[in-house]
Amino acid sequence: MFRLPNIQLSKITVFLAILTWIGLLLVDLTRVFGNVNEIEVGLDSELTWILEIIFFILLYLFFSQSISRHQNENFLHLIWRAASTGLFATGVALLIVVLYNLMEDTALYSDPLLRNFFYHVNFALTSLFLVSTALLWKHLILYQRSKAVVQQWQAFEIILLVSMFFVLINKNDLDYGFFFGMTFLIIYSIILSANLKWIPYLTFKEKWKSILFLSTILICAGYLLYQTLDYSLKNPYFINLSQNLFLLGLFAFVIIYSLFSFLVTLFNLPTSSVFEQKLIEAINFQRLSQSIQPGENEEQVLDILMDSCMSAAYVDAAWLEIMPRDSDPKEIVHQRFISDEERLDVRQIMGQTKPFSDHLSNENNEKIEYIFGKIPHELYKSALVFPIRVNKKLLGNIFLVKEVKDGFNKEMINIISTFVGQASISVENYRLLNEAIVTERYKEELEIAQRVQRSLLPTELHHNTCFEIEGFSAAADEVGGDYYETYQFDDHNFALIIGDVSGKGTSAAFNMSQMKGIFHSLVQFGLPPITFLIKANNALSHCLEKNHFITTTYYLLDTASKNIRFARAGHCPTLYFNSALGRSEFLKINGMGLGMVRNQQYGDFLEEGKLTYAPRDVLVMYTDGIIEAKNLAAKEFGYDQLRNVLNLCHHLSAKEIKEEIIRKVYEFIGKDALPDDDYSLMVIKFIE
Amino acid sequence: MLEITLSKKESYTLIRLNGEVDASNSVELDQAIQEILAAGTKKILVDGSTLEYISSAGLGVFMSYLEDFQDNNIAFVIFGLNDKVQNVFHILGLDQLITIEKDQHEALARIYDA
Repeated sequence: MFRLPNIQLSKITVFLAILTWIGLLLVDLTRVFGNVNEIEVGLDSELTWILEIIFFILLYLFFSQSISRHQNENFLHLIWRAASTGLFATGVALLIVVLYNLMEDTALYSDPLLRNFFYHVNFALTSLFLVSTALLWKHLILYQRSKAVVQQWQAFEIILLVSMFFVLINKNDLDYGFFFGMTFLIIYSIILSANLKWIPYLTFKEKWKSILFLSTILICAGYLLYQTLDYSLKNPYFINLSQNLFLLGLFAFVIIYSLFSFLVTLFNLPTSSVFEQKLIEAINFQRLSQSIQPGENEEQVLDILMDSCMSAAYVDAAWLEIMPRDSDPKEIVHQRFISDEERLDVRQIMGQTKPFSDHLSNENNEKIEYIFGKIPHELYKSALVFPIRVNKKLLGNIFLVKEVKDGFNKEMINIISTFVGQASISVENYRLLNEAIVTERYKEELEIAQRVQRSLLPTELHHNTCFEIEGFSAAADEVGGDYYETYQFDDHNFALIIGDVSGKGTSAAFNMSQMKGIFHSLVQFGLPPITFLIKANNALSHCLEKNHFITTTYYLLDTASKNIRFARAGHCPTLYFNSALGRSEFLKINGMGLGMVRNQQYGDFLEEGKLTYAPRDVLVMYTDGIIEAKNLAAKEFGYDQLRNVLNLCHHLSAKEIKEEIIRKVYEFIGKDALPDDDYSLMVIKFIE
Repeated sequence: MLEITLSKKESYTLIRLNGEVDASNSVELDQAIQEILAAGTKKILVDGSTLEYISSAGLGVFMSYLEDFQDNNIAFVIFGLNDKVQNVFHILGLDQLITIEKDQHEALARIYDA
């Protein structure tokens, strides 16, 4: 569909308006000419009126379009636009008056045609001014749009439209109908003029400017009205365009609205600062309540807080004392309009003056919300102290001082109290957020550690058809210090190790990974158990902290000869079920933890154990977490109970034995007790 | 819970351990021993008769001072351990490195013999 662009539309309206005006001028001049020379020119006054109406409508259309494009400009700009149009129209009118004064003696002075030409120029400019101003006022009236106001304005527009055509009915007579219509328009203008909600939003300075502009508009409108009426009184040969209800109605509306705005703005001047203050407070409050972004500083909140408090109470000087975090001296931040010397002076006086002294000497009294009172200082007469508390802990004190006595009223204190409360929340949120971020990071790192450590424990244990093997490990913390592993030399020879690192948690996990490294380095040499442990001890002596050690048992298993050789480095004695005897026992041999004797004597503490296994024998390797597992009554699971469990379940498969032991341990500690050590278990069941 | 009581006798210092030594409070034990060493005592007795439990972290504390005791000729004796705690020392092999006696009387005798 074809659509005319806006710009073109407005150009067309301007063009048409000018054409209409020229037409109007020609018609009227012809009529005046006929009038003067008493010739019947065959042009009725109705033609004039119709052209006049078309001219008004075109102007109205043009301005309502061009102004709505600038709808979002500020009020001052709108008023200035009206004022400047008024000044232009008045300027031209004055220029014409001056011109006539110069021509006083010439024949042209009394020429009715020329006079009428200038009258039409004045008429055009006056209409332009009135229509544009009326439409600018529309934007002011509709600033806070409500349904009622919009309807009011729409009704007004319809009334104006009707009033244009009124001239066709009353034939340019000042009859009762005209007066009635005029009175109606004046009353309606007064009602519309009650919509002045834009005025409070002007700042003090803007109000002064708008007063200036409005008075300009009033003067221009007054002069133009006088001018228009003056013509009709002075000139005998004259086409009267002004006895039009629309034109006079617009005059009434523009003047009344300008007058109301002028007066209201004037009377609003003294209270303007209060409104501005409240607006600033509202904005400050909003700034405070926006929580600080991560990475930003609490400083910024406190900075806004200080500004807000100072402007809310019109204080002369202020500072903020931040409580020391550890043992640092008190920190003074955001010192405003006061020298260090003066501040120390005032602070000292306050420390000695009641009621301040009580709070300042005992700052942990949570009941005190604020303190204010007089101070005996030569310059500052009254003071207000506001403690800022974050998470029930005192963050600091705001000191506000004024040069007048009793400078703080209830209103100010209330608003400051709100500011302080909001700032506390912001700081608290900020801290919580930061803590959450740090915790989150630790969690992630622990998860990584956990994953790495899980991968250190074997998922598959080496074995052949002669035996079954099963492992299990559970850490009390995210990461643990228990370790077990197997190694296969050839078809019949295996190495097994189980270990426990002293301490628990992350440090234990690190040492455990070292132990794994040592195991894999040494196991390849196929060393006898004691030699293996001596070498491991040597290696660990260089990397373990002084108060750390590792307990372990190292086994060599030969399924061809059915022999097991092992040595114990301080680890819990191996539990062994002897199927020939039908009972289990702990294999007690001498030993010493790795890292406990960090010299060549270490080997002296070790003893090698040897045994030959038979089918259906069971070997259980475990860590002390299982023995020391405590129930709620603080009783330990203990060696005897472990042995009893194996005595009862030795006939099961390795997997079932493992599960039975785990079940018994968890059953023993109960659901509510938390495991406080790592549990690990490796079960071997010999088959042939 | 661990309660450490230090009492300085004429020729030795007595540390009484009451409760449990685990990873969370082994630092306290470490500090106590450090204090005694700083005071220059040559004979230290540890009363373990009310020691209920000792974890590997606690054992690590004793272990870490063994060299210091040897180098500075300090007599260090633990006495009165209950069977369970004694067994923990034994399994680890720590009883081969630290003198452990039955009661205070024997512990004192051991100190003065040396």
